[in-house]
Amino acid sequence: MSYTSYFYLLFFLGVLVVLYYLMPLKKRWLVLLGGSYFFYWLASGKLIVFLLITTVTVYLGAIAMEREQRAFDAVRKSLEKEERKAKKAAMMCRKRHIVLAMVLINVGLLAFLKYYHFFSENVNALGSCLRLGVQMPALKLVMPLGISFYTLSAVGYVIDVYRGQTAADHHFGRLALFLSLFTNITEGPISRYGQLAGQTFEGHRADYRQFTFGAQLILWGLFQKMVLADRAALLVSTVFGSPSDYSGGVVILAMFVYTLQIYADFAGCMDIVRGSGALFGVEIARNFHQPFFSRSIGEFWRRWHMTLGAWFKDYIFYPVTLSKTNMKLGRWAKKHLSPHLGQVMPTAFALFFVWLANGLWHGAAWKYVAYGMYYYVLTLFGLLFKPVIFNFYERTGIRKDSRPWQFFLMARTFILVNIGMLLFRADSLHIFADMFVSMFRKTTGQWLELGLDVHDLAVLAAGAGLMLAVGILREKGICIRERIASWPIVFRWTVYTGAFCAIVLLGAYGSGYGVVDPLYANF
Amino acid sequence: MKELLDILNKVKPGVDYVNEKHLVSDELIDSLDVMTIVTEICDEFDVEVLPTDVVPENFESVEAMWQLITRLQED
Repeated sequence: MSYTSYFYLLFFLGVLVVLYYLMPLKKRWLVLLGGSYFFYWLASGKLIVFLLITTVTVYLGAIAMEREQRAFDAVRKSLEKEERKAKKAAMMCRKRHIVLAMVLINVGLLAFLKYYHFFSENVNALGSCLRLGVQMPALKLVMPLGISFYTLSAVGYVIDVYRGQTAADHHFGRLALFLSLFTNITEGPISRYGQLAGQTFEGHRADYRQFTFGAQLILWGLFQKMVLADRAALLVSTVFGSPSDYSGGVVILAMFVYTLQIYADFAGCMDIVRGSGALFGVEIARNFHQPFFSRSIGEFWRRWHMTLGAWFKDYIFYPVTLSKTNMKLGRWAKKHLSPHLGQVMPTAFALFFVWLANGLWHGAAWKYVAYGMYYYVLTLFGLLFKPVIFNFYERTGIRKDSRPWQFFLMARTFILVNIGMLLFRADSLHIFADMFVSMFRKTTGQWLELGLDVHDLAVLAAGAGLMLAVGILREKGICIRERIASWPIVFRWTVYTGAFCAIVLLGAYGSGYGVVDPLYANF
Repeated sequence: MKELLDILNKVKPGVDYVNEKHLVSDELIDSLDVMTIVTEICDEFDVEVLPTDVVPENFESVEAMWQLITRLQED
């Protein structure tokens, strides 16, 4: 069920909102749970069993870890110091086994369903090269909806229980709702138990302001998705569908338009998701924070798909950096290479796994691995050359916070990100390389024969300009919905009606257009 | 405290660590800087920092970091 479909917007959301507010306050979570499982059943049918497996395993695993901790806490004060240390070590070992089992089961399921085909293809190719005569069987595997998203939420939950940051949830329904919430299941955001579980479980009273803000956010999301993203998709699929027919400015244009498409698509869907949550009084985590105002790659990934970056930071980057093995690596590098490398290596080592995971999370193909490694190399460059960059600022006297320099850094980051998007969208590494090289050749291809006429291009340009204006206001800390809410009713309703009409009149649907599934729903 | 300041100036020079009280929230240091600082702290002060210790509040100022180090040394 697409978030932009009539069925979702008018029927599903409409019915659910009515049922939610008719229910007694303390039972309202049942409506959300029932609605979420109904949503999931419609989208994935019997594959709901995988969601249930994840929910049941992490529910039981978290309670088992808590039981171990409580058993130790009950006796700790009565033990001598050495005995307490030994019992604590044994308890932590058992907890570690449980959390590892939870991670292996759930990540293993995800890995099998998502990566078996990629893995077996490569093993078989290698086997053929080496004439081993071994072939892994081809399996028809289907991915359950949102498995890449809810698995990370589930793994995050059990690790938080292991670390003692969250108590185990003894209410199965609350945990089931946290993992299955219909707003998050298709494209995220990747939710944290501490942020979401409580507020989805507690019933919320109707709040006119929150309700209208939610509706406005949905409207803005629909504008981005249907007017901009789905329109941009036509040009993008034309050029990327026949890359050898185009070069020069056309490829550059397609690259920028794809960046617009993926941002408008993903951010638009996130606004629909957050708006949907707001209708029920639930605050869904933000996933974007004006990413194209970033001045470095590191900043970009703190502003783009924020919940994914935060997950990798908390559950891969920090534990790997702080691991005993990694710390030893740093000490060895300090002793045998240089103090600077000794300082950088633990972080660099951990970042390799972060970017490998990032690339693979997006898809089971070598180009996604390359995508992750592209950002790894850029990040590594920044780490290794930090002293050189510092000296550069000292010697040139350039003020990092000066406006021209900030614009330069933004432009540089924007170009680097667009090259990453070209890699992301190209059908293969080889095609990416060809398209990248072709950008520096003479332009081939007609601007108005790329799937969009001059009116469509004008709508795209105007829409991009509007997104930029909204981004500038948000960057200045201005809440646009609050600002509009303070206007006289005539002006307010002019804006709302204008937005609605823009979606109806300019939305990319009808003859000549195809329904474009949300891009991130494929991950 | 002097050793801590030396570490901070080595990891990310050009920041007024003595007076700045919002190093993380004002984005004067980012998560990469924090992890590099943490690995240096572990080596210099012979303490073990857990992922649960790596929260913004513990790295907002040099005083907060010193408090963290003191607590870890006592543990």
